[in-house]
Amino acid sequence: MASPSSTTAARVRRQLPTSPWLFAAPGLLVVGIFILYPFVSTVVNAFTDRRTLIPGEFVGLANFRELLHDEMFWIGLRNSTLYVLGVVPALVLLPLLLALLVQRNIPGIAFFRSAFYTPVVASIVVVGLIWVWLLDERGLVNSLLETVGVGRIGFLSDQWLLLLSAMTVTVWKGLGYYMIIYLAALANVPRELHEAAAVDGAGAVRRFLTVTVPAVRSTMVLVGALSSVAAFKVFSEVYLMAGPGGGPAGEDTTLVMLVQRTGTGLTGRVGYASAISVVVFVVTVALMLLVLRADRKEDT
Amino acid sequence: MRMPRRALAAAVVALVLPLSACGSGGDDSGSTDASGKVEGDITFQTWNLRANFKPYFEGLVADFEKKYPGTNVKWVDQPAEGYADKISADAAGGTLPDVVNVSPDLVAPLAKAGLALDLDKAAAKYKEEYLPGAWASHEIPGTEGTYAFPWYLNTGPLFYNKSLFKEAGLDASKPPKTYDELFDNALELADKSDGKVATLANVPTIEDFGRYGVELMNKEGTAFAFNDAKGVQLLSKYKELYDAKALDSQALTATPESSGKKFLTGAVAMNPGSALDLGNFKKQAPNLYKNIGITDQITSTGKVNMYVMGVMVNAQTKQKPAAVAFAHFVTDAQNQMSFAKKVAIFPSTAGSLDDPYFTEEDGTDETRVRIAAAKSLKNAVNYTPVLFSEQMKTELRNSVAKALQGKVSPKEALDNAVKACDRLLQQQG
Repeated sequence: MASPSSTTAARVRRQLPTSPWLFAAPGLLVVGIFILYPFVSTVVNAFTDRRTLIPGEFVGLANFRELLHDEMFWIGLRNSTLYVLGVVPALVLLPLLLALLVQRNIPGIAFFRSAFYTPVVASIVVVGLIWVWLLDERGLVNSLLETVGVGRIGFLSDQWLLLLSAMTVTVWKGLGYYMIIYLAALANVPRELHEAAAVDGAGAVRRFLTVTVPAVRSTMVLVGALSSVAAFKVFSEVYLMAGPGGGPAGEDTTLVMLVQRTGTGLTGRVGYASAISVVVFVVTVALMLLVLRADRKEDT
Repeated sequence: MRMPRRALAAAVVALVLPLSACGSGGDDSGSTDASGKVEGDITFQTWNLRANFKPYFEGLVADFEKKYPGTNVKWVDQPAEGYADKISADAAGGTLPDVVNVSPDLVAPLAKAGLALDLDKAAAKYKEEYLPGAWASHEIPGTEGTYAFPWYLNTGPLFYNKSLFKEAGLDASKPPKTYDELFDNALELADKSDGKVATLANVPTIEDFGRYGVELMNKEGTAFAFNDAKGVQLLSKYKELYDAKALDSQALTATPESSGKKFLTGAVAMNPGSALDLGNFKKQAPNLYKNIGITDQITSTGKVNMYVMGVMVNAQTKQKPAAVAFAHFVTDAQNQMSFAKKVAIFPSTAGSLDDPYFTEEDGTDETRVRIAAAKSLKNAVNYTPVLFSEQMKTELRNSVAKALQGKVSPKEALDNAVKACDRLLQQQG
């Protein structure tokens, strides 16, 4: 006859393989239903001609072949890429400079830290509308420009200025968020390094380049990766400023806007929109890998 | 190693599930027989009406339940923003309400998917109660039948800012009545104001092409035709206006809301609207209200444009007699008349527009606009083809924008738009 303790041990051993799964089940279920299933579903739909109300049939690579000849897809790819090129360098560098500024312990600095962070918590819709009012042909900015004799500028009617205006909003709104990340990283940079560099005669710029930047390099890579993925998937800023049509003649459409425009509504082409989503996913992953690879190269 | 196998099985299920969703499909339009006892629970969905008309709809539902004991109507309202997406999601998920407030362009895909009840079969006896044009507005080219009860109609005049007309040296008591006069006035206004005041704020839409007399589709409804000489002529005129700044420089990205705002602030001289707008002008722009001019919609066809709202019955409802009876009840002459007295809309029921409410002047601007609109509605047309989807609107808008920017000629722009819209039409099936 087995002792009670050995029976318990046997029971535990018997239950061991299932127990971890049971603990993880709620989380797995949520991930499965809300992330895995939609993802797999999107990939599958990309190979069908499914529409909103009409179940699709398998069409192989037809959607991807159509993409190659779709002018709007190339416009979307161009704009999303330009967005990454325009926004990422600004979001890697400016928040770092801002963090260096507000890192100092001077009276009233807490106010500025909060002020710089305020755009992050503001709703993107509210922020977008405020910027539209500011940049409108009869808005504050144009009125000021006219007063000083520059004349009115079509920030919201010229395709390139519109894209630039949307990038400005993205950078302005993201500054505070990345500033907080840099502040945490800067707190770990030993003060002695700066002092030693100063003793050796290094000026502020030199200290920034030789002490600060190397110390927060991995954080810069992280910010670069996060902001490039967000920039490539931009939707709200451009949608709010350029309108649902994507600016004049749709020239400011980004890839995610194209997904929304193509795949929604009662006549939405779900299969084709899914194919564009797959391209967005592949490019996003490639961007991440590129940034991480660049980081590894620097390390070796 | 039992769990990994189960995990593998779960992964396979996850992969197969979406595939199965693609394979099945519903052409199950169900029976069109709506005879039988009116009873049971139904859901009625309206389009952004709760905020302003809650008591009216609660009374309507109570009256119906009183008239038909044993029925229970659940009223739900959806916001205006994303209404089509909400219907799409419900239709795809099989949760479409029994009775749904729709516009003709929303009905077309639902009918094609077998989700809208054919009222020519299920409710033919009610057809005579409505204006013929209104009943026909929910017919779909290439498909037999009518797929929604016509509900309220709307149309409106063209508002203009008299002071801007006067400043440009134009006679504010003689607003443009024809397209030629409109284009001439617009060019003069732009010239006199050094391009600071535009007359129009929107690029031409499919409705504008229709009102200009352009043939929008072929007779069979199988292909678009708005790239004819008349269409090119209209777009060329708009290009001239755009170059002269008589068409607002932000027109390429304008929405009806943004152009309405421009009119309120005096940045544009003319804007289409409805009797409802007069109240807004009075409240939001009193100075504009003092100088407001009201003239008829400009049209080359002699028929103004009208917007039609409908009430559709879900073909798959389990309570067909009750759903059809309720949809008819909402849209019958008595209830439409009572709704029209609460807000500036017009009934689609035959004879209602002859009511003294729509024919007798009382000296106010509101009544004058209402009477003029009611008169014009008797032979008005919904110019927007029911098959003209959101994607097609975007194609047309983008092509028009390219022509206005001078990137392509008006002819080339319309040829491209027709080609793209035809492709989308074929894909719709």
